[in-house]
Formats: sequence, structure tokens, C-alpha cells
Amino acid sequence: MVDVSQHELVPEHTVLEDDVLEGVLSEYDIDRTDLPKIKRTDAALPDDAEAGDVVKIVRNSRTTDQAIIYRLVVE
Amino acid sequence: MQHSTPKDIGAINFGLMEPEEYREMSATKIITADTYDDDGFPIDMGLMDPRLGVIDPGLECKTCGQHSGSCNGHFGHIELAAPVIHVGFTKLIRRLLRGTCRECSKLLLTEDERDEFRADIEESRKLSRDLNDVTKAAIRQARKKDRCPHCGEIQYDIDHEKPTTYYEVQQVLTSEYSQRIAAAMQGGEDGERMAPDELAEETEIDLTRINEILSGSFRPRESQRKSIEKALDIDLTEEDTNKLMPSDIRDWFEAIPDEDIEVLGINPERSRPEWMILTVLPVPPVTARPSITLDNGQRSEDDLTHKLVDIIRINQRFMENREAGAPQLIIEDLWELLQYHVTTFMDNEISGTPPARHRSGRPLKTLSQRLKGKEGRFRGSLSGKRVNFSDRTVISPDPTLSLNEVGVPDRVAKEMTQTMNVTERNLEEARRFVSNGPEGHPGANYVRRPDGRRLKVTEKNCEQLAEKVEAGWEVNRHLIDGDIIIFNRQPSLHRMSIMAHEVVVMPYKTFRLNTVVCPPYNADFDGDEMNMHALQNEEARAEARVLMRVQEQMLSPRFGENIIGAIQDHISGTYLLTHDNPRFNETQALDLLRATRIDELPEPSGIDDEGKPFWTGYDVFSELLPNDLNLEFTGTIGEDVIIEDGQLLEGTIAEDEVGEFGGEIVDTITKVYGNTRARIFVNEISTLAMRAIMHFGFSIGIDDETIPGEAQARIDETIDDANDRVEELIEAYERGELESLPGRTLDETLEMKIMQTLSRARDNAGNIADEHFEDDNPAVVMANSGARGSMLNLTQMAGAVGQQAVRGERINRGYEDRTLSHYEPNDLSAEAHGFVENSYTSGLTPREFFFHAMGGREGLVDTAVRTSKSGYLQRRLINALSELETQYDGTVRDTSDTIVQFEFGEDGTSPVLVSSGDDNDIDVDSIADRVLESEFDSEEAREAFVTRKPAPTNLSEHADSRVVDSTEVTSDD
Ligand SMILES: [Mg+2]
Ligand SMILES: [Zn+2]
Ligand SMILES: [Zn+2]
Repeated sequence: MVDVSQHELVPEHTVLEDDVLEGVLSEYDIDRTDLPKIKRTDAALPDDAEAGDVVKIVRNSRTTDQAIIYRLVVE
Repeated sequence: MQHSTPKDIGAINFGLMEPEEYREMSATKIITADTYDDDGFPIDMGLMDPRLGVIDPGLECKTCGQHSGSCNGHFGHIELAAPVIHVGFTKLIRRLLRGTCRECSKLLLTEDERDEFRADIEESRKLSRDLNDVTKAAIRQARKKDRCPHCGEIQYDIDHEKPTTYYEVQQVLTSEYSQRIAAAMQGGEDGERMAPDELAEETEIDLTRINEILSGSFRPRESQRKSIEKALDIDLTEEDTNKLMPSDIRDWFEAIPDEDIEVLGINPERSRPEWMILTVLPVPPVTARPSITLDNGQRSEDDLTHKLVDIIRINQRFMENREAGAPQLIIEDLWELLQYHVTTFMDNEISGTPPARHRSGRPLKTLSQRLKGKEGRFRGSLSGKRVNFSDRTVISPDPTLSLNEVGVPDRVAKEMTQTMNVTERNLEEARRFVSNGPEGHPGANYVRRPDGRRLKVTEKNCEQLAEKVEAGWEVNRHLIDGDIIIFNRQPSLHRMSIMAHEVVVMPYKTFRLNTVVCPPYNADFDGDEMNMHALQNEEARAEARVLMRVQEQMLSPRFGENIIGAIQDHISGTYLLTHDNPRFNETQALDLLRATRIDELPEPSGIDDEGKPFWTGYDVFSELLPNDLNLEFTGTIGEDVIIEDGQLLEGTIAEDEVGEFGGEIVDTITKVYGNTRARIFVNEISTLAMRAIMHFGFSIGIDDETIPGEAQARIDETIDDANDRVEELIEAYERGELESLPGRTLDETLEMKIMQTLSRARDNAGNIADEHFEDDNPAVVMANSGARGSMLNLTQMAGAVGQQAVRGERINRGYEDRTLSHYEPNDLSAEAHGFVENSYTSGLTPREFFFHAMGGREGLVDTAVRTSKSGYLQRRLINALSELETQYDGTVRDTSDTIVQFEFGEDGTSPVLVSSGDDNDIDVDSIADRVLESEFDSEEAREAFVTRKPAPTNLSEHADSRVVDSTEVTSDD
């Protein structure tokens, strides 16, 4: 089986620790349900990601080097 | 005039209305279908009851005492003789019927299942997902149950006959059960016979019972029926449908517990399901259905009133019949009729129901029809309103205007006004406007006194009125030069379709614009019309000037380069001016630059043989460039363009240099020197180019596309050659000697080879024609400079038009086995399948012309289909994206605060303000250099800044005794 998360075009997905998540949510003044979503079955997710977790995605950007996106894992 | 205080909307709740609520808000019960009595007065408790509001001016509303205009009208109500179903909720009613118990009305789910779905609903709500997905799943689950998990009652299927009839479908014992059993016992064609005692044994039913069943004197019970069915492998049931009357449904729904409703996504406090069955019908106020008095004095009633009349009549008949004890059949008919009228009162376009019609045969426009569709209340009256202070007329070009300006006809300027607040400082001016009156320009149409009275300025009173104007008045003056307005051309596909222009008042009837703004508007002058909007307050005018003015829209957010630039003849002009770098004498050079800011020529480029000074095209062009512009790139014609210190040193100025979509020089000037400099440059380049093209003269005629006979002969030869080769291919094919290409059939291979041969022939013909065109041929100049047209267009005019295609293939359609009746069947030759040997100059034969029209038509159909498809796509995209907004923290969110992007565009940059493409990243170094350059006057100051070392901060008294590291900032505490 191909592990897509190792592909160079797939950005890095990491599950956020609770305390970091608190910081993110308060920075944007939102609940976690206001975040964009990602399906738990998404192949790019790390294996330990569960519904309710929030993942941090770091993408390469031509203009800003790195773009950081947070997504809520849903069923 | 009375001002009502503006109100804030805190929240909007959607739900169902309780019948009691209808009664409470009702001003009167309506009991009679009559409207007016013989004297023309509205009848009490009739459809035009004065308590429902007033339409006639001067009359007082009986409910609220206000006059027409202030009174919005009041609802009345009709007590329906029998409940009827609300058409808007038929689907929900069906769902509830299917999902709840017919006996105890509870949801057909176990407690556990119910709690699970309730949790799902909560979850969906939080994630703002579609609740329907969950409720549908819940109903699906409930429908699976044969028996109620609460009371054990058997559940039946619910059939829905559109629009408003529901049936319970039960499987019951057929009345022919004895015959069917007997027939099955006889055995089919080859089936075995079965004796009654065998049957009794197999089904474990008494033999006497079996005999009774066979004789038809005993109806088998359900369990007996099933065992007989099993033994004989037959079906003894038939469908029995039982119509559910609205009153039955209402009773059913009334018993549904609140907790069960929640699971279906309904808030039981606001909406009880039984309210979907109407027992009271609200009657809209008369203001919502005003009657019109015709010229002959007859009253004509609104469609809604007609419908209400029908409802009341049937309602009364229903009641009378019921009281008189009419048979059930009659009652049911009347009930259905009442249902029909109430249904069509709300929606008169239901499939399967004949629409209610006016006496004239026109279908009535009832509630739903008022709201729906393009002309409806939402799209027609609320989001798309007709707008004041706007104008529309034909556009035409005016190259003498700046690209920021628009020529406005004087008759438009006199109609459109701007409000002028009179103060001591503009009092004189204001009086002058008023004294010019409404006919003179610049005049005024209205004035408003400080007490709020509005006075019309007329030819008669303007002089007197002008003297009365004082500070504190308002004057509605005509548009004058320099006013800012908004200009728009549909379809408004991108933001540059609406830009702000400065007014230049002009004679005649068209809006005039500079030709360089044609690309952003996608405008031409073949009859295009455009709209103008005069701005009505200072805030709008300031925003328009700062954000919307044409020069501010120089760069397109689509590709980050300039969308405004030289077009068509401008490009031919700069090409002629710079291609061979021609020389001009003083008069000529001055003439070229006469419409620019340059009023003094630079040092002559040289002295000619006669001892007179001359200026080259490069030097004339360079006069328009910023003095410190440096650029080097590969230009339109493939040669390098070099600009050093604002001086064009090498290259030809054409499309890629100054053109509309990403002309390098225009783009650079915009980004480096700003929009104002770019506007000046584009304005000047276009006037210079026009002067240049007029200096050289530029015209095109039939001779420019005609080639010598010798060349024509060579073209004919290549075409003949190609025809021969096609013939050879066909022969080889027919002999079976043609080898198919990999992955192709033989037929496809032949087609491909023929196409190849013919397209090569067209190219050769083009090349031959090409050889005979001089470089100064106007068509060649236009093609090379990128002004208009291509070499292909030119070779089609002079050489050969070539193969015509429909759907990418040679023309194959028409008659059976041939394209036209002029050819033999199965003729594969070039001629028979749409190859046009002639050029546009030599003229097409009738058959060629026909094939050409076939190919051309495909193009037209394609564009028509494409525009309608992309228009719809755009509408959907706009609707989907319209509520997204970039917040002050840089995130993009929708109206429910859900984050869509954490940073606008995921990089927080504007495509207009950042210049980078696939082939060039942001050039940070040169930007930094440029900033430093402009920031410091002297080299030393600059050096000092770049290499600046932080000065040691020293607040301590003992500093002298300390060793201070000069590269580090030390601080004292
Ligand atoms: Mg047009
Ligand atoms: Zn009123
Ligand atoms: Zn039940």
C-alpha cells in the first residue's frame, strides 16, 4: 500500500495538543466546530487522529513560504 | 413627512403558526364572500372589511386609525368548516405519517435509537451540517418497523397521492380466498393436486375448518392465512387503501409527544405538527390585494381576493350541507373542493393540479406566484430594484478624453443632480447654479430650504430663487466637469466592469469613453450601451474616487498585471514609430508629442545630411517614459527591448511592451511609479501612437492580400499535389495496402493521413503567400505587432482557406454516404469533405462556401452555449461565495463565523499588490534597493542606514566605568 502522507505533495498533518489548541481557538475567538473540517478517513491524516481532534496542516506557499491551516476531524 | 424610527432586528425565528395565533392577530372574522354593497361601501365581515386596512387616500383605518400609507393593513381570518392540509408541508406530513405510530403517535424508534438520533442532530447542528440528513435517516429507520415498539400496533405503508391526499395501504385477505385456494389445490398445469386432508395436515388446521374455508363460510385468521399461503405457495391478500382525512391526520399529529418531534429537527415549542393542518385561514390585509377601479367605474378585484371568494363560498356550502345532514359522499366532495381552493390560494402551479383560472382563462397569480422566480418579490423587487439617479445610453469612442474620464451628454447632465450643501464659501457658486435654472447648464433642478421644504427650480422662478438661497440650503445642481460617477457595462463579470469616471459634459446623445478602457469593460462601439450612476453622498463619492477610479483598476486581480493599455491602432502606431527607428524633423517630432505634457523637445538625436536636426522614434517615445526607468526583456517580435534611465535603446514597442493584458512597460510603471503615473503614461502613449499612425498613414485594401500570378501558380501546384497525394492514400486504402497506425482503425488512419496532408498543403500555400508580403504590409504589421489579426488570417486571405471542420473532423454529415448530392457516394476526396482550396481573396466556390458555413456555424453555437453555461456557473459561484468576508484579523469567514481561510488566499496577499508569477518570484532585492534609493539622498546616508549599528544606550551614571559592547544594546534596570 502506498502511504500518501509520505508523498511530497501531501502537506504535513499533525494532531494538536489540547493546550496548543486552546491557544489557537482563543486566538481566533471560535469554537472548534467553527474550524474547517476533515474526514477521519482522509488518507493524509496521521493514524492516531480521531474524530474531535484538531489537526494542524503546514503547506508550502510560494508567497509566504508556509501557510498554516487547522482542521477539525469529523466522522 | 413622518419618520419612523429605525429598528434593529435581533433575531428571526422560523416556525409554524398556531391557529389561535391567527385568530389573535386577526382584525375580524370574515364570513361573507361579498365585497361591496350596492352603494359601493365595503360590507362588514366581508373580504373588503374596513378593519382590514385602507387603500383609498383620505379614509381612516377602522383598526388603527391611521390613513392609507401609514397603515400597513391588518389580517382577518376565515374559520374553515373542516381542516385542510397546507400544501407547503406535504412532504413533512408524509414523513411524520410514515415515522410515527398510527395508534399511539409515538416515533417508531426504540428509546435508544431515539436518543442516538437526537445526539446526531445536536452534532449536526454544531457542525452546521444539513439536519435533513439525520432526520431522513431517522424516518428511514422508523419505517423499517412493522410494529410499534411502544404499543405493538401493526404499522401500514403510507401512500401519498400528490398534492394533498394520503392513504394507508393494508394487506388484507382477498374476498376470493376460497376460489384461490381451491384453484391452487387443483394444481396448475403440471402442479400436483392436493386433497383437503393433506392441506389440513400440512397447515395443522382442522379438516372441518379447511372445508369451511373452502366453502367460503369461514374467513381464515392471519396465522391460518399465512400457513395456507406457505403450503400452497400462493398469495391470498389484496391491497386495501384507506384514505386519511385531514381531520384524522390532525388527531394523529396532536398525539405526537414533544420529545419525539425534537428528533426530527422540529422545535416543539414553536411548531407543533398538527398546525400543518389548517383549521383557520388568515386573510391577507386589503393593502396586499387592492382592488382597482377601471376607467368605466367598474371595480376589478385582485387575484387573491377572487381566490378568497371561492374559499368562503365552498366553506359556507360545506357547513350548510353538513348541518342539513348531507350524505358522506357529498361532504367528501365538498371537502376536496375546499382543499383545492386553499391549495391553489397558496400555490397555483402545482403539478398534477389544474391551476385555478380567471374568467378570462388566465391562471390566477396567487401567493407563491407572487414570490417565486425572476419577477417575484425576492429576485424582482427586493434584491433587484430599479434604481434612481441612473442613465443608460449608447457608447462611442473619444481618444481625446483621459482614461479616467467619461463624456456625458448635456441632456443627461441636466437630469442627474448632485446635492450641494450651501455654505458661506460656495454661496456665490450655488446662486449661479440656481439662477441658470433647470434648462441652462450648469443649472439646478431643486433646492431644499433649511426647514425641509423642497422647491422646484423653474425657468420662471430661478432668478428670484437664486437670491433667496443662503447658507444652510441644499441645491440639487447639474452634473459638471470633474464630478465623479460610476460607470458600468453588463455583463458585470469582474470588478473592472464597474469603475468610477470623472464627468466631462459634452454635446450629443452618447456616453464617450477613451478606447483604452474597452478591455476591462469588454466594450466595443457596435451599439453597446452602458449605465451611469450619479453618486448621492460625499462618502460614496470619496470611496468611488479612491477605490473605483479607472486608474486604480489598472491592474487585474485575475493575473496581477495591467488590464489597461494600448490596443489595436495604438500598437500599430508604436510599432511604426519604433520598429525601424525612423527620423523626424522638429515640426514632425513636436506634432507627435502635441497631445502630451512634453512641450519642449530634448536635444536632437543627430544632424542629417542637409544639416538639419532630427529626432528618432526611440527618442520621441522615450520622452514619455519616467526618467529613471530601467527595463530589459524579450519583446513582442522576439528581439530584446532595453530601456536605460528612461531611454529606449533597443527594441520595438508593440503589444508585449505597452499592450492591454500585461504589457511589460505599462505593468512596470504601474507597480513602480504608481497608478497616477501609469494613467499619464497610457494616456500619452495612446495619443502619441495615434499621432504616429496618422503621420505614416495606415490603411489596408484588397491589394494588400493579393499575391502575384507566379505565386498563385505555385499555390495551385501545392494544392494539386496535395489532392494527388490524398488520391494515392485513398487508392492504397481501397487496395488494402494502407497500414493502420497504432491504436487506430484503418478508417481513422486514412482520415488522419488525409487531414495531415491537407493541413500541410494549407501551410505550404500560406508560406508561399507569406514570402510575397513585404514587412511593411499593413496586415503583416498588425499581425507582427500584435495589434490585430494573425498570420493565419492573412494566409487564409491570400493563400488557401483550408480544411473546414465540424467536431474536429472533416465534414462528414449531410446525405447518406456523402456530404452533398453533387458527389458520388463514399467519395473520400478532399473536395467532397470540405477542403477549401480557394483563398478569401480569390473567392469560394458555392460548395466550398457551404462547407465553410457549416464550420462557421459550429463556432457560433459553441460560443452561445459557452456563455449561457458560464453565466449560470458564475451565478452559482457568486451565490455560494457572497457571504464570505475577510475579517480584520485576516481570516476569511462566513456569516456564521465559520473559518474558511485562516489568512486571505492562504497567504494574506492581494494579487494586485504582489507581483509574482510562475516564472518570477517576488524580486525582494530590487524592491529593497528601490526603497533605499528613494529614501536616502546621499550615498553616505544610505550607507549609514544599511550598515547602522545600534548606538549604545547608556542611562547609568557609572557608564564610564563599564565596558559597553558596541554591537549590543545594553539596558539598565
Ligand atoms: Mg458590441
Ligand atoms: Zn390600520
Ligand atoms: Zn404505538
